[in-house]
This record gives sequence, structure tokens and C-alpha cells, in this order.
Amino acid sequence: MSALDYTRQEMMAIATGREIKDGELAIFGVGLSMLAGYFAQAHHAPNVRAMTEGGVFGATPVGGLPWGIECNRLSVNATSFTNALDALGFLVASGRCDVGIIGAAEVDKFGNVNTTGIWDGEIGESFRPPKVRLPGAGGANDIASGAKRTIIMAAHESKRFAEKVSYISSPGYLEGGNARDRFGFPGGGPAAIITTLGILRPHPETKEFQLESWFAFSSIDEIKANTGWDLKVAPHAHVVPEPTESELAALRRVDVTGALRKKD
Amino acid sequence: MTQSKLIPLAEAVRRYTWDGMQYASGAALPIGSDAIAFGRELLRQGRRDLHAIFHCNSQQLNLLAGAGAATKAECGFSGLEVFGFANGLRRAVESGRLALEDYSNLAMPLRFLGGALNWPFVPATTNIGSDLQYRSAFAPDDYPAKAKIPTVTDPFSGREIGAFSPLRPDLAAIHVTLADSRGNSIMLGTEWSRFELSRAAKKVVILADAIVDPGCIRQFPNLVRIPDLVVEAVVYWPFAAWPQSSPGLYDVDEEHMKLMNKALATEEGTAQYLKDYVESYADLDSYLDLIGRDRLTRLSATETAFLLDPYRPWILSPDDVAKLAKTGEAA
Repeated sequence: MSALDYTRQEMMAIATGREIKDGELAIFGVGLSMLAGYFAQAHHAPNVRAMTEGGVFGATPVGGLPWGIECNRLSVNATSFTNALDALGFLVASGRCDVGIIGAAEVDKFGNVNTTGIWDGEIGESFRPPKVRLPGAGGANDIASGAKRTIIMAAHESKRFAEKVSYISSPGYLEGGNARDRFGFPGGGPAAIITTLGILRPHPETKEFQLESWFAFSSIDEIKANTGWDLKVAPHAHVVPEPTESELAALRRVDVTGALRKKD
Repeated sequence: MTQSKLIPLAEAVRRYTWDGMQYASGAALPIGSDAIAFGRELLRQGRRDLHAIFHCNSQQLNLLAGAGAATKAECGFSGLEVFGFANGLRRAVESGRLALEDYSNLAMPLRFLGGALNWPFVPATTNIGSDLQYRSAFAPDDYPAKAKIPTVTDPFSGREIGAFSPLRPDLAAIHVTLADSRGNSIMLGTEWSRFELSRAAKKVVILADAIVDPGCIRQFPNLVRIPDLVVEAVVYWPFAAWPQSSPGLYDVDEEHMKLMNKALATEEGTAQYLKDYVESYADLDSYLDLIGRDRLTRLSATETAFLLDPYRPWILSPDDVAKLAKTGEAA
């Protein structure tokens, strides 16, 4: 551990933000993914063309994590308000969007995301109500289908990292390999799953997610123990550089209310 | 003399709603602009078996579902964003009392667009390949579902794509920031899908936080995305989106968002909430008293207040609005 004190959530947000390059057309979901995206803008990507699925353009959050996309913390300094058809349709489904950040309640080894519900076991032939209903797909399905690349953020726990999700709310690589091809999605699929412990990336051919790097406070063993499938380790797996002072300062400027600072 | 379309909220619900109807609302995302006051009035008048069409869940659908008044819903997103799960809706889905048909946040406006344009279906390369396509709560035994988002062949490329069914709700109750007494409406903040919805719905009732003189509409015609000719009636109801936010006018009421969602998590809590916050007021004044005048002042001290500045000269006082409603003549 370095001299800097930071939480796992903050490391996850910084690692996610590092995926965003300056100048990209980027769409951020609500919650932690929004903080990660606006951190990138505050730190190394000042010219990122950021938008939300509500069609709120040019805004940066004021006063902390917005409660939602139409939160006044975001409406306060927008340069354009349009609509969902514009943001998710004209700019994402069209194939123009470079990168999207989405969250996951459950994710599987091919990067398929479930945010719809938790069932006891498989759903079966007949669609029955879930034991626990989750918030649904939202814009994440459209981002996963349309954005050139998607970054998935998820707390790393074995119950969330499943061999196969019980419900695909947002498509990753489906059954793996080139399974996405048959649907003609404009988007390329998930480029990374960034967790509270490390970073997984898809194998170039099989598209199975494997461990690419771990955070300084984590380890290969800890990550494997918290993954619900037999996680393979990439040949050149390595440790992720810790947050720099300027990264942490930029993140905390965005995360005014300390949503990411709660110790887990 | 042109007629004003201003009518009382209770009258709007009496005139334009019925049990079992397809009811659309949920104007702007789970914490933003929505005609929540209309949903409260639906419950006050005992409407039931509603088929709710909400682009996103909001506290309105959360309440309608929690109270058992909605038995079907179609949504792109069914949570409350950073406020978490929508407990009323969640309880209704988990118990099987409400069938929730899941789409995405792009699929819903595409379906409104299809309804607005009278298209037979809307082709799109989204939702396909996922369980949004394969699983149908309205036809649970149809698996993989063939009737929800059928696959069709693109006649140009030969590629297989998704066909989305158009939506034409019986009524849309749409929240806007400003409207004149004829229903010409200006929305501050994202319009989300209110533009398409206002053309897709068979009838539209506007709930406006403020009523403006028509001079305002003529000053900013480019911003009038809902013109009077698609509007049946206008209801003047300040804080119509409470406890959610209305950019330019008031912030989200964080405390009540949490209180309400906590109450909706149980039958008993829901019954108490209905008693305290749905059945307890007689008119607009007592609704505002219920929220609390101090709280209204606090919520109105929003950093977005400057967004309203260009329109302020035209905003009518409650007395002026009452006069218009009484004479029935548009200003």
C-alpha cells in the first residue's frame, strides 16, 4: 500500500476513468460510472465529449454525485438538453459513440450483464417473477449494443461473477467467440470489466474474460476466490499502478459528497 | 375568444381516465420531471387495473404499483437511480401482482416514435440477442418470445433485425415546466421522450408547474415542443413532480424520496403513505401545505433557478390562473 489512503471503490473509479481517452464521445450511466467518467474529464480527458442517456450534454456535476440523470446537480450547467432518442439513438445506436460505462449486478465470463433480477436457479422455460427484482436494463442494453466499446464496473464478489448470468439484460459476447456477429450490433462489446479488485479483459478469440491485472491491495488468489467461474490468468498479468496524487485529487473534486470514500 | 383548457386536476382524472386503460406518464427519468400529482389523483379516484407505459419508472409508477392500481407495466428502466430499487414496483413484480415487460431506454422512445408516425413497427439493432427479446412477462410461456420483439429481415441488407411494436397509449399525463392556458408547453431540462409521447398518445393532459401568458410562447416558439393542438387539457399544479425535481423550479426532495420509497416497501407502509400523502389533501393549497411551506422554499432555492429567468416576466400569479380557469377564456 502506498502512502496515499484510498478506498477500493475509488481505485475502481480511477481504473475505469483511465480507460477514457481525451476527445472521445462518451456516455456515462448514473451512479458510480458517472463519477468515473467525470473523473476522467477532470483529470486527463478535458475534451471528452460527455453525455448522459437523457440527452444532457456539456454538463459536469456540481455538489456531488447526481441522484439521477435529471438531477439539478447536472442540469445546472448543461450546454444542451435534448432527449433519449438523440443520446441513445442518434449518438449511440448509430455507432458514433466511442465508449460507454455501465454497471452490473451480475456479470458472466463472456461479459454479459444482468441488472434485471435474481432468480433461485435458472429461470426455466416459463418466465416467472424473480426472487429479487433489480432496476432493469435502462440505457445499458443500448450502450452495450451500440457503443464502440463498453467498460463494465462491478463490485468483485463471487455471487456477482457468474459462469452464466440468469438473464442477459445487456449483451456482452453472448456465448463467446464471434457470437455477436449474427446480430450486426454497431458496437464492439465490452473491452474490460473493472472491479473493486482488478481488471479483466476478454481473450482475443474466445472472448472469455481473464485476469489482466490486480490492484495493489489485491492479489491473483483473492480475485480467483471471488470469481464464480474458473478464471484464467493472462500471460502478462500485472499489478495496476496505484492512484497518483493528482488522480485522487481530481476524483475527490468530482465526488464531493464522498460516495466512493465509504470504506467497504 | 379562444378557450382556455385549464381544468382542475380531479376533473382531468374524471374525464380522461378509466379502469384498465393504457396510461402513459413518467416524463423525465426516475428522479426528474414527472406528473406525479396525476398519479396521486388516480389513486384518490380509485382507478385500478392500469396498464402503465412509463419510459422510466418514477415515484409515480412506484406508487401506483405499490398501491396495487397498476397490473401491467412497460418500462425501459424500473429503479430510482441513486435512490435505489423502487420498492413499490419491486414488491408488485416479485409477488406476481404486476407483469412488468422490460425494454431498454432507447426501445421505449422508438416505440413512441412508431406510434406517433403510425408505423407498423420500428426496426432497430438494440435489445436483440438479449433476454429483453427472449423473455416476455406478458406472454411468459412464449420462450424464446416471438411476439415481443420479433426478428425481421432487412429488405436491403438481408440482415436480421429487431421489430419493435408501436405504442399508442390511451392517455399521456405529461409534466412540463411552463404552459399557457391552451397547452403550449415549454420543458426545462431534458425532454427525455415527452416530444414523441405527446404525438403517440391518443390524448394528452399537461400538468404544468407554472402557467405563462401566451406572449412567452410567442417569444420562444422554438422551445415549444408540445403545441396546443395535441393537448386536451391543462392542469395548473405547482410542485406536480414532487418529491422529484423540476429543473429551474425545484430540487429533488431527498428526504421524502427516501421516506416514500421506504413506505412503499411494505403493505402497511403503503397504506400509511396513501393515508398521509394521497388522501389527506383537499385542493392545491392543502397539497402545498402538506409538503410544508418551509420545505417548498428550501426546495425552490435551486442552483438551476437561473434557467427560469428568461420566462419569469410571463409567469402568471395563482390568482390570475384562477381567473382564467373561471372565465374559460385564454389569456
